[in-house]
Amino acid sequence: MVITIIVIVVVVVIILALIGIYNNLVKLRNNRENAFADIDVQLKQRYDLVPQLVATVKGYAEHEKGLLETITAARSAAMSATSIDDKIKADQQMTSALAGLKVQVEAYPDLKANQNFMQLQGELADIENKLAAVRRFFNSATRELNNAVQTFPNNLVAGMFGFHKEAMYEIEASQRAAVEKAPEIKF
Amino acid sequence: MTYVGIQTQIARNNWNSLVLLLMFPCIILGMLWVFCCIFGVQSTYDTYGNEDFYLDYKIINDTWLGWAPWVVIIVGIWLIIAYAFNAQMIQHATGAKPLERKENPRVYNLVENLCMSCGMPMPKVNIIEDPQLNAFASGINQKSYTVTLTRGIIDYLDDAELEGVIAHELTHIRNRDTRVLIVSIVFVGILSTVLTVLTRGVLRAFLWSGGSRRSNSKGNGGVAIIVVIVAAIICAAIAYFLTMLTRFAISRKREFMADAGGAELTRNPLGLASALRKISANPGLGHIQREDIAQLYIIHPKQLTQSFFDKLQSLFSTHPSTEERIRILEQF
Repeated sequence: MVITIIVIVVVVVIILALIGIYNNLVKLRNNRENAFADIDVQLKQRYDLVPQLVATVKGYAEHEKGLLETITAARSAAMSATSIDDKIKADQQMTSALAGLKVQVEAYPDLKANQNFMQLQGELADIENKLAAVRRFFNSATRELNNAVQTFPNNLVAGMFGFHKEAMYEIEASQRAAVEKAPEIKF
Repeated sequence: MTYVGIQTQIARNNWNSLVLLLMFPCIILGMLWVFCCIFGVQSTYDTYGNEDFYLDYKIINDTWLGWAPWVVIIVGIWLIIAYAFNAQMIQHATGAKPLERKENPRVYNLVENLCMSCGMPMPKVNIIEDPQLNAFASGINQKSYTVTLTRGIIDYLDDAELEGVIAHELTHIRNRDTRVLIVSIVFVGILSTVLTVLTRGVLRAFLWSGGSRRSNSKGNGGVAIIVVIVAAIICAAIAYFLTMLTRFAISRKREFMADAGGAELTRNPLGLASALRKISANPGLGHIQREDIAQLYIIHPKQLTQSFFDKLQSLFSTHPSTEERIRILEQF
């Protein structure tokens, strides 16, 4: 009689523990997906700023039409990219095009004095910082999920329900060489 | 000093807040009982016509039971008001004003970006127009969490250093340190006020009763002195209680944990170290003379004028030494 009770209690405790572990894994996975979506939010904000930037510069820097077209093209490529690889490539092109714009602007003192333009530059710089922040958070969320999935009691539950180790926001090995080179400023 | 993870820290702080909340009515009712004792001293005359004093516990307990519900209700209302308005009270006491993104995008963006990098909802940002360098975090729930910075610290530190300071304050909020701190500040505030009232009440009571009760002038002086001494001892005991409460709520460990959390958040411990260096040269907020709010600051200003209770509290200093904090941050 006593043994039956003990067995029942032990089984109930184990089931409760399993439920707790499963719920925790679900929360961590959703947290990570949320973080990934946040990165896209920042990227979109960056792309939304670009037309304003192009419009402001156009009035002052007639000679830079080529550069502006590069930026606009990079933006369209980024917005229409679907695979992660394409997204990263388009992101890099955008970054180097914007860097190019910064350099060229030095030659146009009128443009530098334009309040609108300086503000847009400030906003762009801030968005770069925000992108870095959300990527950091995405990596933290990924790390927490990976820890939970791989440590001992949880990995049994994880295996049963299809949770697995996820990738960080990393640049692919093939892309790494291109990124580690300084962005090319070509006009 | 063992390192505990942030979840443990949060759980501990929540537990401490709860315990403080529960201890409080007990302490208030205890003080009420002592108060009843002081007033309930009875006298009889023995065969020689000398006065004899004793405590009739039945009368005392009945009096106490009669008063207790009212006291609890009054203190409860006070507590609710303090809870609801703690943010405004701190703002009022320090002269802090909210900071809009438009006014100072640099600071606002620093706070926003740090919050985004750890997935924390953004607290309010306040500014104090004071050239001295200091910063603190306050608030007990998401609606009231606030990071307050002085104009001096915003202008004097560069971006990396200011980021370190903000990260330190954000970690205090994340750990729920601010919650425990404000609960204890509210209590200590209420208890100090009640204590002052009681002390004055006791002194006045004996000045009056000296005239009406005693006929024997020799016994008059002796008894009055003894009772005043007893009252003073009781007040000192209660004051000790207050400081224990405060110590219980705040510990130096929290400051180290906040430094560590801040460094992890920014991935740059040297930023905070260099900020601490600059601040330690110039920390005090000149016009804030309240010791209890000073405990919230990033570096404890030593120049505050001190009342009796403050002197007791300063024996148990609530902030670790700045040199030690800088040393630990720079060892990486």
